[in-house]
Amino acid sequence: MLAHAILSGLVFGCYFTLVGLGLNLIFGVMRIVNLAHGDVVMLGAFAAFWLFALIGLHPLISSLIVLAIFALLGLPVYYLVVPRLLAARDSEMLSIILFFGVQQIIEAIATIAFGTSERSIPGRVLGSGPLHLLGQALPVAWVVSAAVSLLAVALVYLYLYRSRVGTLTRAVMVNRDEALASGIDVHRVSALAFGIGVALAGLAGVFSPFMLGSATPAMGGDVNLAAFAVIVIGSLGDPRGTMLGGLIYGVALMLMQTYMSAWANLLPNLLLIAVLLVRPTGLLGRQVRRA
Amino acid sequence: MATELLRADDLSSGYGKVRVLWGTGLAVEAAETVVLLGANGAGKTTLLKVLIGLLPAWSGRIEFGHEDITRLRPDQRVRRRMAYMSELGVFPGLTIEENLRIGGQFVPPAQLRARMAELFETFPALAGKRHALASSLSGGQRKMLGIAKALAADPLLLVMDEPSAGLSPLFVAEVIAVLRRFRGTGLALLIAEQNVAFLDLADRVYTLDGGRIGFSGTVAALHQEDALHRAYFGLG
Repeated sequence: MLAHAILSGLVFGCYFTLVGLGLNLIFGVMRIVNLAHGDVVMLGAFAAFWLFALIGLHPLISSLIVLAIFALLGLPVYYLVVPRLLAARDSEMLSIILFFGVQQIIEAIATIAFGTSERSIPGRVLGSGPLHLLGQALPVAWVVSAAVSLLAVALVYLYLYRSRVGTLTRAVMVNRDEALASGIDVHRVSALAFGIGVALAGLAGVFSPFMLGSATPAMGGDVNLAAFAVIVIGSLGDPRGTMLGGLIYGVALMLMQTYMSAWANLLPNLLLIAVLLVRPTGLLGRQVRRA
Repeated sequence: MATELLRADDLSSGYGKVRVLWGTGLAVEAAETVVLLGANGAGKTTLLKVLIGLLPAWSGRIEFGHEDITRLRPDQRVRRRMAYMSELGVFPGLTIEENLRIGGQFVPPAQLRARMAELFETFPALAGKRHALASSLSGGQRKMLGIAKALAADPLLLVMDEPSAGLSPLFVAEVIAVLRRFRGTGLALLIAEQNVAFLDLADRVYTLDGGRIGFSGTVAALHQEDALHRAYFGLG
């Protein structure tokens, strides 16, 4: 039972890394808190659901469409909202208030449009039967979702650590003022990061029916809590820490669900409180900001 | 005949409602070293930030290579080969090589590789640590990296904000020695400083006091007119 909990926890950890990465990328680059992150995940879930329900589109194909459309939608949203936020005296606090409002609007519109029923996509769409990994049987849908998550996370890390624009992005993460002084087009770099962050949230949404069981317009709050727990455990604003945070969160969640299932829903809150009390900088937090 | 590279006329700017610059102007010619001397709070950093585009000019005009750049963004000015080295000067959380690549972001790749090889020759202490984080360097080495990063842009003009800040006299002498090596290479320097040791490098000097230019001329004239004392102690 322990081995199964740990292995499935690692699989879920890959997925939760994807859930947290977009939020952390946006916070790291822009120092704004996108409280609507969970609702973007929800929109991704409904996009995948309707594409499957209406035209029978496979979620793997939906994921490519969602990635492209959400990234493209993120760009105008960035230019409409973020530069004004960043010009404000306390952009972090203002962003919390603004995106809280956006979250409420998205949730209200989604409730009116989709109703309050739970929507799901059958797991067999991603493959039937259990998959045996290290002697443990896991649903194929979990493994496929985790594999796609891992691929997306790897591509983001390649972008950040192996590309020219990625280096510029990390420079903005380290010090926005110095980035401006060095001639980096900070808004272009930030808009790209915002688009990628929104696209990652949408992608996480596509696989949420398989990993979280179903999608509802009200799921954004819970997803946000999980995403915040993941990035606070790793290190707020440091994308490398998100993987560590995701894996710890996934394993802890599965251990709780296996041995203390009644308490499992409290896990994000418990982890957030524990990390903030013991190591507020996160496990990878350092005095010098490193991106 | 010398070519005028940078010209700023009648600049005013500040922060919020607080005006710091009052009709300030200066000029730098190609390959010339100009020192902008002033005490703390004289407005040196504000003036440099307006020149590089980090702060908007409330009024006045800035020309670089006879082109009006007053409303251009900082990245557009750097593209025109006007580099800026702030007091921090580097990204501590990135490696030395990454810092140089950011400095040379607008230089074509092949040219940048050659440029970086040159810079590692000029700054041998950095060459062996190219994959180390800038945060692992000493204060003096960070300053050298800051200079190298700005030079990676292959600038026509390098604008420097207090390169001596936080350095011991020994490292200040080292920074001056390094900058002296670039005299005669076609690079123009505009150095904002309160350390008079940098006057050794200067072709011309401006003094800044209360956001206004007090003196403009050669180092010899500066000493003759006793403008140095006025800039620092408000005498006369």
